Amino acid sequence: MPRIDPAAEWGADQLRAEPPALPELTEPEVVRHFARLAERNHHIDRAIYPLGSCTMKYNPRVNEDVATLEGLAGVHPEVEGEYAQGAIAMMYHLGRFLAEISGMDAVSLQPPAGASGELTGMLMTRAYHADRGDQRKIVIVPDSAHGTNPASVALAGYRTMEVASGPDGRIDVDELRRGVDGDTAAVMITNPNTLGVFETRIREILDVVHDAGALAYLDGANLNASLGIVRPGDAGFDIMHFNLHKTFAAPHGGGGPGSGPVGVKAHLTKYLPYPLASRDESKAQGYEYSMDYDRPKSIGKVHAVYGNFLVMVKAYAYILTLGPEGLRRVAENAVLNANYLQALLEPYYDLPYKGYCQHEFVLSATRQKEEHGVRALDVAKRLLDYGLHAPTVYFPLIVKEALMIEPTETESRESLDRFAEAMIAIARESENTPALVTGAPTSTPVGRMDEACAARELDVCSRDCD
Amino acid sequence: MPYVPNTDRDREEMLAAIGAASVDELFADVPNDLRIDEAIDIPGPLAELELVRHMRKLAAMNRTGEGVISFLGGGVYDCVTPAAVGHVTGMPQFFTAYTPYQAEASQGTLQSIYEFQSLVARLTGLPAANASMYDGASAAAEACLMAAGIRRRKKILVSATTNPALRAVTKTYLGSSDVEIVELPSDGGATDLEALREGLPGAAAVLVQHPNFFGLLEPVDEIGRLARESETLLIASVDPVSLAVLRPPGEYGAEIAVGEGQCLGSPVGFGGPLLGFMATTEKHLRRLPGRIIGGAVDCSGRRGYVMTLQTREQHIRRERATSNICTNEGLVALAATVYLSLLGKEGFHELALQLGSKARYAADALAAVPGVSLRFARPFFREFVIELPADASWVKRELSKIGIWPGLKCSCYYEDMENCLLVTISERHTRDDIDSLASGLEAILSAGGQS
Repeated sequence: MPRIDPAAEWGADQLRAEPPALPELTEPEVVRHFARLAERNHHIDRAIYPLGSCTMKYNPRVNEDVATLEGLAGVHPEVEGEYAQGAIAMMYHLGRFLAEISGMDAVSLQPPAGASGELTGMLMTRAYHADRGDQRKIVIVPDSAHGTNPASVALAGYRTMEVASGPDGRIDVDELRRGVDGDTAAVMITNPNTLGVFETRIREILDVVHDAGALAYLDGANLNASLGIVRPGDAGFDIMHFNLHKTFAAPHGGGGPGSGPVGVKAHLTKYLPYPLASRDESKAQGYEYSMDYDRPKSIGKVHAVYGNFLVMVKAYAYILTLGPEGLRRVAENAVLNANYLQALLEPYYDLPYKGYCQHEFVLSATRQKEEHGVRALDVAKRLLDYGLHAPTVYFPLIVKEALMIEPTETESRESLDRFAEAMIAIARESENTPALVTGAPTSTPVGRMDEACAARELDVCSRDCD
Repeated sequence: MPYVPNTDRDREEMLAAIGAASVDELFADVPNDLRIDEAIDIPGPLAELELVRHMRKLAAMNRTGEGVISFLGGGVYDCVTPAAVGHVTGMPQFFTAYTPYQAEASQGTLQSIYEFQSLVARLTGLPAANASMYDGASAAAEACLMAAGIRRRKKILVSATTNPALRAVTKTYLGSSDVEIVELPSDGGATDLEALREGLPGAAAVLVQHPNFFGLLEPVDEIGRLARESETLLIASVDPVSLAVLRPPGEYGAEIAVGEGQCLGSPVGFGGPLLGFMATTEKHLRRLPGRIIGGAVDCSGRRGYVMTLQTREQHIRRERATSNICTNEGLVALAATVYLSLLGKEGFHELALQLGSKARYAADALAAVPGVSLRFARPFFREFVIELPADASWVKRELSKIGIWPGLKCSCYYEDMENCLLVTISERHTRDDIDSLASGLEAILSAGGQS
């Protein structure tokens, strides 16, 4: 084929003077560069990664393999439906699995992350009230909620009203009753909540919500504790999102891609994003599965195509591998592991909310801070010296010096013991050699970073090759 | 038990340490009437072999690979990816890690994202990029919200020549705000400049795609000049590969550049995961949504990287955050970074020239088929629109019988583009592939009669 003359083809005024300054390296140099970067990362294959509410569980390798099958990874989204029956069938059935697991009626797989699922849920809430000629303005969120909740509420054009948690870390039902009124569009609830406790009065809470004509939204970030045990839909939730990269073992990828499907009860199905994978067993069109665009009440699209399909493939494979019994064992062992760690650590750190936890629990380093000047951040950094990852720190906001720990079911008892030993050693170091903790980490590729300086003297792109 | 290491004995000993009689007791807080009595009704468990067989069966129900020549595009592109990309993204140090909350134990992820931001900055000619967005569509939507915030104006102009998916997502994102979207009509396949002139006063931003949905180059200099005159921000949605040869958005006055980066080393994957990118000027850096990685030094002066400007983000700022985004497309951004590093300055330039040459050859070959013409006269990159003397659905169906997918039917998105196909060229295409499309089309059309 003849080579074009760029100036003739595209017009001289459209051309850039110099090609962009990309690296000029050979493959061995590039691979070595990234292999060396890789050495500077903690990761779940190496040791426990107990970030609370992130569900850092093992990522099964077979799921990675099947997601690279040419027949799945190579399907173009614009291909005619009859040539993509496997892809659409997988989406349809994954949606059904998630509906069955959660007790919801219909599921859209389109939101590409949990926060996108929240936004989708809030936009459906808007559509639902708008359809009833009801312009509500407020979404109620407990003070223990993930930051994405109020941010999604704002993006959907609502105002957030925060309700304080009660002394047991659960939603204060009286407080909630006082907050909810005819202007409440929805209440967003995380259950088990970010303290790792189950909302025992959930039915009563949802009655309060529904009596006011509001919708109940479940943030499904913590669904790992409920698999096969309790279904949010049965409790009365109207909308929820799932995190396939948390509960369903798709990898976190250093920050993504995730997948945040949204499930709804039947009365909200019509608002789900379009298109929706659907099935026609009579094969009226000549084939069984198709993407349904004919959804006039839909809130629209939240992703350019159908969502993060290859992440869905991994979650689908995970669910099939485990089956119903296996999923229940996931929840049981996740909760067992968390309670075991909590029991081991309770003597050494403050535990603001006592009793059995669900999949995670929150310690406080207040004692270490007041007595020895060692903060939660220091404990976190010192854990890195032990070759372990830190818990989520300073969250939820209602616990001072919070250390939020979620071990997941894929950690062995040996691994939990190792983590507990490190935490206990750090508690002792805080008493005896606090400088060792406040000066940590010392064994990582870099020491504690000066974040304030980084924000002041911004350097967000390399100019070396300019 | 798949993926659960605890043995029965472990469980007993752990329960003893907890002081609980049974695992069931740990769920005491879950009201009894909410507990599931029967097992949930899903299939499985499958052994690994059974699972793989099942997945292969599903995969076989899709028609892909050898035996298919595809000219489908329209935002998701079938790129040739060097094998090393998958080997790097397949390193567990990258794919099993999460958001780099603990910088000291995440320098690999942090530096790779910093490199991604740097590459996006060099491609777009804008100095500040973020760590990725879900896709080019949500990146455009977020850019519109960002621009409305910067300009404190309530109108956004969106060209009708932008990708329909991008417009759909933007509409969803802005639907609940008080910002109004005004669609600019097209003229000869490009943004109508008269309509632009009329719409600009009072507009916070104008969103233009270049090359646009039809593959056509937009008059970006003129658009940039007009936008500047009314202090309207120009948001350019760009194909990153085109930036190997075309002028970067920073040069024609775009203050925000967004785009879809899937074509940088990731599979088409039935449309996901994709990779949104976003870059802006130093002035607007603090308005960016999502994660931003910055260079830093540690306590002993060693160079490293951190997540910076976090006070913009949802986990700190909550309802006042610049966006709700948390999980992004990290691993896809890593794939793009490795891909661009492997192709390098010359390879990337060569890629763009190849796409240009193949697209020109294909356009000439198809326009030579009796009755077929190019719909638009403007220069194009990677893809172009042909007009057929027959129903596009019929042509597609007939060609698919011989394993050719000739392109995307434009009338799905543009009512006035009856009988038009958007034909997309991939670097994968050989001369034979393109000749097969042209000869197949000619044969079908000359046989005539719509069956």
